[in-house]
Amino acid sequence: MRTTALNEITLMQYIVLIHSSQVGTGIFSLPRKIADSSGTDGWISILIAWAANTLAGCVILLVMRKYPDDTLPDLFRKLFGKAVGKLLLIPVIAYYSYYGFSVLVNSMLYIKAWFLPYTPGYLIVLLFAVPTFMIVRNGMRVLGRYVEIVFYMMAWMPLFLLIPLDQGHWIHLLPVLKEGWKPIVRGVHDTLFSFAGMETLFFIYPFLRDKKRAFHGLFIASSLTLVLYLFVTISCFVLFAPDEIGMLNQPLMNLLKTIEFRFLERFDMIFLALYLFVVSRCWILYSFSAIYSASRLFDRPDHTKPAAVFLVIAAAIVFVHQPTWNEADRSETVLTILNEWYMFAFPVVLYVAVKGKELLGRLRSE
Amino acid sequence: MFPFDWLPKIRKYVPSAGNRKENRSGVDESRARPIVSSLSGNLEEAARRFPDWPDFVVFRFASVSEERETPAALLYLEGLSDKKAINDNVLRPMMTGETAIRNGVPAPTVGGVRTARTWTEVEHAVMSGESALFVDGREQAWIYNTAGWPQRAIEDPQLESSLKGAHQGFVETGTQNLALLRRYLPNMELRIVSLTVGRRGRTSLMIVYLDDVAHPEVLKELKKRIEKIDVDAVINTGELAEFIEDNPYSPFPQLILTERPDSAVSQLLQGRFVVIVDRSPSVLVAPVTFASFFQSVDDYSSRWMIASFIRLLRFAAFMIALLLPAVYISFISYNYEVIPLQLFLSIAESRERVPFPPLLEAMLMEITLEMMREAGIRLPAAVGQTIGIVGGIIVGQAAVQAGVVSNIMVIVVASTAIASFILPSYDMGTAVRLLRFPMMIMASLFGIIGLVVGFMTIVAHLVALESLGTPYGSPLAPFRWSDMKDTFIRFPLWTMKNRPTSARPVQETRIGKDRPRGDGA
Repeated sequence: MRTTALNEITLMQYIVLIHSSQVGTGIFSLPRKIADSSGTDGWISILIAWAANTLAGCVILLVMRKYPDDTLPDLFRKLFGKAVGKLLLIPVIAYYSYYGFSVLVNSMLYIKAWFLPYTPGYLIVLLFAVPTFMIVRNGMRVLGRYVEIVFYMMAWMPLFLLIPLDQGHWIHLLPVLKEGWKPIVRGVHDTLFSFAGMETLFFIYPFLRDKKRAFHGLFIASSLTLVLYLFVTISCFVLFAPDEIGMLNQPLMNLLKTIEFRFLERFDMIFLALYLFVVSRCWILYSFSAIYSASRLFDRPDHTKPAAVFLVIAAAIVFVHQPTWNEADRSETVLTILNEWYMFAFPVVLYVAVKGKELLGRLRSE
Repeated sequence: MFPFDWLPKIRKYVPSAGNRKENRSGVDESRARPIVSSLSGNLEEAARRFPDWPDFVVFRFASVSEERETPAALLYLEGLSDKKAINDNVLRPMMTGETAIRNGVPAPTVGGVRTARTWTEVEHAVMSGESALFVDGREQAWIYNTAGWPQRAIEDPQLESSLKGAHQGFVETGTQNLALLRRYLPNMELRIVSLTVGRRGRTSLMIVYLDDVAHPEVLKELKKRIEKIDVDAVINTGELAEFIEDNPYSPFPQLILTERPDSAVSQLLQGRFVVIVDRSPSVLVAPVTFASFFQSVDDYSSRWMIASFIRLLRFAAFMIALLLPAVYISFISYNYEVIPLQLFLSIAESRERVPFPPLLEAMLMEITLEMMREAGIRLPAAVGQTIGIVGGIIVGQAAVQAGVVSNIMVIVVASTAIASFILPSYDMGTAVRLLRFPMMIMASLFGIIGLVVGFMTIVAHLVALESLGTPYGSPLAPFRWSDMKDTFIRFPLWTMKNRPTSARPVQETRIGKDRPRGDGA
């Protein structure tokens, strides 16, 4: 309502926002995960996961369409009343914070492993916190602009993956469906999480100016992610032997390592450092969702304080606990399950609630 | 920038002079005393009000009208008024009676005559260079516009020189600056809003805009912000800019100060507002975007391909000036695996004798350079060249030979300096100069990650910034295809049919029919 009117975003920003909520650090290990579970036919599971996720996004949009200017906290309030709505908001905040936090920690682990092995983790998180804070406290309008400009700035990145492609063996992909559908379906489970991000629609959609294009935008954004994932996965499948790829922890990093210029060795380092821009969009968006909800929980219009609290707590947790790769992996398993429930079951429940409320209202008026 | 947000909060707890009740404007009740009928009484009052001012002239004479002589006196400030106008056009007709008579007083041959009944009015008039006539037996004074103060001739703009643009720059007189603008736009839609700012200085400001192009909401916002200013005086346009800009904690300029009438007019035509500040040789343009600091008048008068090339060069220079020393530091001290072996060896060789860590080495050179730059501004042109020779050649050469800095560092610092000079806007250039230092520190602390996060912070700051309520990052963020025609590439003029949307113009089209496209069509 009052927050959405001033903060409208364009269709392009909406598309890029959805796209950036999906693309995170997962892309580095994605080809390995798929190869593990479904071999070189894995690209088909990407397609299936894409379809499932787009469908989930559509359900969310169907829910939101009834209340086009309301974000999730407002929706809760309208559906369940003030007190219950606020109570329900707490697990929602927890979910988004946890998601944002794990993206942040994952990025921190990557940076720590590849660039700053001796720098304490909390310092890296604090470093990330500075731009995050500057964007999040300004609301969706600035977030949309940031995401958009980063998208254009970093659009050249996938092109560099074309360079090593001429050494690839396309034969690795054949025959299609060599082991039947079973491994492909198994792969879908792993891939679904890579597409996770539709749940941020609860916060993006209300700010969209041209609501008629919401479904188109969703489709384009999700397809953008699909193309990116397919491209990365197939490049890795083509370049690495099918037996070998399971042994590479982050096949995309190995692929990048092969790119070298006469004036620049270790191009992968620069690529990874700049990729931080891309990942930052993801954690900023999730933490924004959490921070926005938190500020609605306390009925405060500004996001500055919740943003500061969130980032300080994130740094404090890293300071006290010092997460490791194994923990991040375990946390991701938990997050995958949570995400599946949140993205697929929760919107349906909401949809039923919305419909029920509508029915109730109609019955009452008659 | 945001780390300084706490500053205003602190200010609250510091006792300030403003809290004490005092009358800063110096206006009190006795000042507004009416003019009496006797001339001697008035002159006594005048002597009280303008005590012992060496430039204050009271000229007593006998005014001739209808063969009758009445004692009269003309009051004016010598330096602020046009002596010729006073002698020839005011005094002579009155003393000889060779002129028409209005209200029983001979009318002088000056444009701009009004009457005053209180002393406050007389004071204001005299202080601004007008002359006041008192006639015996009259309870009023006549004010003649004989203002004429020391003025500079119109010269080539100093700070923003151009190759093909006009060679007339703004001067220190507001009305003259307005005339310079009017010369380009003899259009009835050119509107002017006059405002006065400053309790003591009473600086007159003029907001100039095209009524059917500029957005009324922006005008309202601009006026609101200017009216809010409560200071002693606004001496320079830069001061005004600091009072009305959106984010004072930002290193980036959010308003353009220009001393070129032609670029001010082109901004007017895009739907922006120009604020002329009397007594200041530059005008203020608002609202502006980040990209507009990369445009210059020469872009439009040279061929579009060349102009586009130069504009791309400027953006590249911006990145170089901002990042090059930082990138070098991070590559040398952190991420040396990125540099190819051959190059790395030659860098290592040149750094062999240097005892300092890269950051210190870079700081040393950068600060020396900044000092030379400042010294160059203060010195007269003839001596300025010496600084170049001493600084550039002697210090640079000697520092390398003495092993204080490496050869490569000199190259890096020198190319950074050249790059920062390419930016057409001085204010943007200084912003880059300043931001270079935190980037260097980040690079030396966190290597390439420090760089990326630092740049991310700058991007985050730029997209959050607004100029008079319009997004500063436009047309990049929010992205606008139509405005891209005049951002990185300067498209041919006939393709730029619409005014840029970042200025929020009411009337969008600026070019009508298609021009010939060069294929003879």
